[in-house]
Amino acid sequence: MSEADAVPGASAEQPGAETLSRKEKRRLRLRFDDRIDTQTAISSAETVVLAGRCVKLLAQAKGLFAAKFLLAFGLIWPGLLLPWVAKIVTDNVLLERPIGDTEVRFPPFMNPIIAFIDGMAPMEVMLFFAVMYGFLLLLMGTRAGGTGAELFAGADAATQSENRISAGGSEAGGIWGIAEFMVNVRLTQRLANALRTRLFERLSRLPMTTLDDKRIGDSIYRVLYDTPVVPEICYLLTLNPFFILLGGAINLYLIDYSYSHVAPELIWVAWCAFPAAFITTFPASALVRRTNQAKRAAGAATTNAMEETLDNVYAVQSLGGMKRETERFAQRSRESFLRERFALAVGILLLVLVLIAMVAAAIYITIVISDNIIDDVMSPGDFFVLFGMYYGIVETAVGIGSFWIKLQDPVAAVRRVFFFLDHSSDDDHCVGAAIGKIERGFTLDNVAFAYPDGRQALDKVNVDLPMGELVAIVGPTGSGKTTLAYLLPAFLRPTAGRIAVDGRSLADLDVNSLREQIAYVFQEHLLLSESIRDNLRLAKVDATDAEIERALAAAACLDFVRALPNGVDTVLGQSGDTLSVGQQQRLCIARGLIRNTPVLILDEPTAALDPSTENDLVRALRASAKGRLVVVIAHRLSTIRHADRIVFLDGGRVRDVGDHDTLMANADGPYRRFVELQGSSA
Amino acid sequence: MIVKELTAALSSADRTDPPALGGRKLLRLAGRTWPFIRPMLLHVVTLLVAGAASGLFMAVLFVVAADVFFNKVLVGDKLQPVQAVLLGLDETYVADLLEDAGLDSSDEADQRDDRQAALSPEQRKTVRDRLVIWFAIGAVVVLGGLATLPYYGTWVRHQINQSLRVAMIGRAERLSLKYHSHARVGDAVFRVYQDSAMIVNLVEEVLVGPLVMLYTLVTGLLFIAFFSPSMALACIAGAVPMVWLTLRFTPRIRRRAAANRRANSDLTSRLQEAFTALKVVKANRAEGRILNRFDRDSHRALDAAYYFRLEMVLLSALVMGLGGFFIIATEYALVSWVLDQKETFLGALVAAFIGFTVWNIGAFNVARDRIEETVHTGFALVRVWCMIQDFFIGLERAFFLLDLEPDIVDVAEPATFPAPIRRVACHDVHFAYNTDAPVLRGIDLVADAGTITAVVGGTGAGKSTLMSLLLRLYDPDRGRVTFNDEDIRQLRVDDIRANTAIALQKNVLFAASVADNIGYASADAKREDIEAAATVACASEFISAMKNGFDTELGERGGKLSTGQRQRLSIARAIVRDTPVLILDEPTASLDANTESQLLRNLAEWGAERVIFLITHRLSTIRNAHQIAFLEEGRIVELGSHDGLMARPHGRYRAFVEAETTGAAA
Repeated sequence: MSEADAVPGASAEQPGAETLSRKEKRRLRLRFDDRIDTQTAISSAETVVLAGRCVKLLAQAKGLFAAKFLLAFGLIWPGLLLPWVAKIVTDNVLLERPIGDTEVRFPPFMNPIIAFIDGMAPMEVMLFFAVMYGFLLLLMGTRAGGTGAELFAGADAATQSENRISAGGSEAGGIWGIAEFMVNVRLTQRLANALRTRLFERLSRLPMTTLDDKRIGDSIYRVLYDTPVVPEICYLLTLNPFFILLGGAINLYLIDYSYSHVAPELIWVAWCAFPAAFITTFPASALVRRTNQAKRAAGAATTNAMEETLDNVYAVQSLGGMKRETERFAQRSRESFLRERFALAVGILLLVLVLIAMVAAAIYITIVISDNIIDDVMSPGDFFVLFGMYYGIVETAVGIGSFWIKLQDPVAAVRRVFFFLDHSSDDDHCVGAAIGKIERGFTLDNVAFAYPDGRQALDKVNVDLPMGELVAIVGPTGSGKTTLAYLLPAFLRPTAGRIAVDGRSLADLDVNSLREQIAYVFQEHLLLSESIRDNLRLAKVDATDAEIERALAAAACLDFVRALPNGVDTVLGQSGDTLSVGQQQRLCIARGLIRNTPVLILDEPTAALDPSTENDLVRALRASAKGRLVVVIAHRLSTIRHADRIVFLDGGRVRDVGDHDTLMANADGPYRRFVELQGSSA
Repeated sequence: MIVKELTAALSSADRTDPPALGGRKLLRLAGRTWPFIRPMLLHVVTLLVAGAASGLFMAVLFVVAADVFFNKVLVGDKLQPVQAVLLGLDETYVADLLEDAGLDSSDEADQRDDRQAALSPEQRKTVRDRLVIWFAIGAVVVLGGLATLPYYGTWVRHQINQSLRVAMIGRAERLSLKYHSHARVGDAVFRVYQDSAMIVNLVEEVLVGPLVMLYTLVTGLLFIAFFSPSMALACIAGAVPMVWLTLRFTPRIRRRAAANRRANSDLTSRLQEAFTALKVVKANRAEGRILNRFDRDSHRALDAAYYFRLEMVLLSALVMGLGGFFIIATEYALVSWVLDQKETFLGALVAAFIGFTVWNIGAFNVARDRIEETVHTGFALVRVWCMIQDFFIGLERAFFLLDLEPDIVDVAEPATFPAPIRRVACHDVHFAYNTDAPVLRGIDLVADAGTITAVVGGTGAGKSTLMSLLLRLYDPDRGRVTFNDEDIRQLRVDDIRANTAIALQKNVLFAASVADNIGYASADAKREDIEAAATVACASEFISAMKNGFDTELGERGGKLSTGQRQRLSIARAIVRDTPVLILDEPTASLDANTESQLLRNLAEWGAERVIFLITHRLSTIRNAHQIAFLEEGRIVELGSHDGLMARPHGRYRAFVEAETTGAAA
């Protein structure tokens, strides 16, 4: 039996212990996958703040929110009417008693109806009610039920998120129900979308240093599966308390109006459910937050495993890592399900606690009422009335008392969202003055850069990069070439020293206006699974066909692009896999060229190119260097040789600056030694 | 807004064929889930039985307790003997059996002679207290069930979902690269996550749930027929338009359900791709554009979810409108029958037990409740029907991935892997990703153990493709790849990959520690092996310079290292596996000359007795090879040693070398 035909599930049961190191497993268990968001605990005060920030999102959907409120408000009234109508049908139609015969007083809103039907024959009354029912059915679906469109979901937060955003639903049917459904769905969608779009924008603007630690699967999880809880928080803080209290008030009013003789202690006992629910659940609020936090972190770790293995499937297959990757995924997925159940168990436990309190109170109330009945103080019929009333109040009281605990689960999710909304980003540097077209170039003055983990990548770098030159950054691997190049578009910020562009400090400039003028071609060839045309248009959204053709020609892409069945409209496969690496690299260069920016930075543009292609490219670059600054990171002498200025780096410091001939003239120069070594090995 | 969106929903422009879900296909899909449910079958059945049992327990408890509480405690009737035993009370509490035979129904309560039948107030309180104890015990049992059953059920669902997920990922990892080059990562993520989760609903929600509803429906109808066959017939007649409407809506709902899943899968893909390419986005100031696309896809997904559900809601609103009118009309009819004191159909049969011979208020209440229940069950069935459409479309998407056959599969009886490897060869190998664009056109190449073969040529000449054939990532369209004259199609894929190590051109590193990355492909690599491999790959120096050395965590895709460093880690990863065949794809492109020559020396020493392939552009690397294969447009146009090839006056290789040494003309 081949491996591919292995019994499904069997691999899940086999422990993957051998291939996962103990350390890896421990890491999995302790903090899942997060490298950035590692402090997940928040205080109660922070919970309140987060919830408040969610409510502010309602400002983006004022109209829908008002509509939802009015629709929900309108629904209260028929619910009040119907029990009385049912009573009239029984007493006055079926039993044919005259209206107003009983001791129970009709509430005032029934008066017009009573006045209307007074004196009618029973079947006439019934006809009137049938017509009224029919009208209410069309309007609100009365007696038919509510609308809602929940779909089946899985048993984890990620798969339940779609329903959370889009299930909608209303207690009404008919026209009202459809309208309320529409408003509900659109409102939850708008709230969730507002938050997820903001999160996406923020994540796309994370600083480069953070990006290296940011897991893609985690980002997907946060954007798609953490944001959907926001409508819930908004409702928990606005509509829910309002309607719970309104319902409670109406209930109290009716009891007072129709049954004012009832013992008041009953009402007070019922209200005890409020502090009882609050006090029993409050100590667990941190636990609820923590378990829900963990379940989402574990879900994100599962997404990471999935995304990483699928995105690198070529490497996984050629390295024979399929089994290992499957086990890693199985392990994480199992952990994620386990965390889901932990959170569920805590939820169940709290529910049971509240229920125990409610059952105890119910027993007490039962004893009190039945004592009264046995002692002939009340009649058996009063039991139902009193018990119903009691439960009406208890429901309200528990609703308010459990408000805080209900907030904890969704708050755990939005904390994960707001963490990145609050994380420092490039946007923080968009406040400075915009810079006009770069005229003179860059000056680096005593620049140093150390990574957050303490590695010193650059130190005491002093160099000029004037416009009009082709500058080559040269040096052994790991000497800080890419770090230096990253400083120019402010992908990284120097940890000491100053970078100036046209004499103005980079720190004071609007980063957008700077990057507008710099095209950067990375070592990695990152292409989107879109057409070649769209890949180029990513850099310049309104590029014309002529511009696209020019850029493709300059990067020596024209031949192979034309040979593709659909030319520039060919849709590239996953990460451009249908092209050879050299071809992908050239497309990336074309994308860098198309913007025609004053500054062009190429990081190892020719590593995967054959010599003749490389020669063509270097020639094109030299031609384009006139009037602008072209910075090339290169190892190959054939490329370096043509630079106007060579910056030789070693160990994070500039060891030599000058053109090839000048630097070679210095017999002991570090650059010359470097070149000679290359020559000797060649 | 509302009118516009309703019109949009109804005048759906989508006229494509709805996803076909015939009965056969549904059965097949449900059957496909069997291997995943089977291991948990015992638990699934236990869960169903426990659910049913707890429901039954609650019902019995309610009936018994209600009788004792209302009739005995509140009214003062004497107990049934069994009740007395259960409550631990003596015979003074028990009603005289002869006198009270068949009179335990509350309807007859007022007929009874209260002379001896009544309990004293003290006795009533005792009964009440004993009942409260039972109630407390019952509450403990119920709460216990409430606490454990949902957890248990979730555990069962998780196990089922887990095995499906793992099978899907396992399959996705083994699918041919041809599939992956056209598939989107986000789509597979969505299938493994969202579509697979449907399976947890199969037994309870899709099979048992609707069956219970159907049962309720049928018994409800029978009950109504018992009172009035004409009413039952009216019920059936009333159901006809509902069924018609539902069938009418079904294709639209399926179409929308499929569109909803597609749109959400696209959104996932969009996110994944955007986050993968964030660096480029930043460099090109494309954040705004990426955001717009995300926003567009996000709205598309939300709209798809919305219009799909709107369709469901419209259908249920229509069905419920019809059903609601039916309820109102029957109630009106029932009222008139009560007032006319019309005879019930079979009420006379049970006259001894219940007073329902003619339509009275009791019969009215029972009949009306039953009619309402039956119609509401109908509504619920319609809603579940809609959900089931989505369920099967999701399940189909999940199994689509599982049903894809990997192109590369082992033969029924694979040959044992030849050892030691003496020779790797290609014989007239042809290969194309797309039939109209051949990549390799007749490659003949022989590489012996102990030699280094350099594969050289322009970009896009087919060098990397040729190497993937050696790993059997693809099978050649024509010709054979052999290890010691054994066609590799006769060998097990796992054996081939276990004996062939490759350092990839794209330096793929995983978000794990340095040591884990080097040992990635060799499960049993010890720390010494890993460190030794790092030394051969000239990587130990920079690794030990890092804060945690070999335990340093790398960022996403190894982002914290320079390309040259990543390159050396990939090489170390290949070396640590100690395989007889080693492929290095552009191993030194990003290395400086010093490191490169050191690395090549190490490799030559380490590689004696192995078959080594090098893909490279660099002259300094090529020169170390024993033979050079110069590839052009999918053919080997020149083959020989460096000196031999340089001796050809107009050779392609010679021109290639000269381009490198002279560089671009100034």
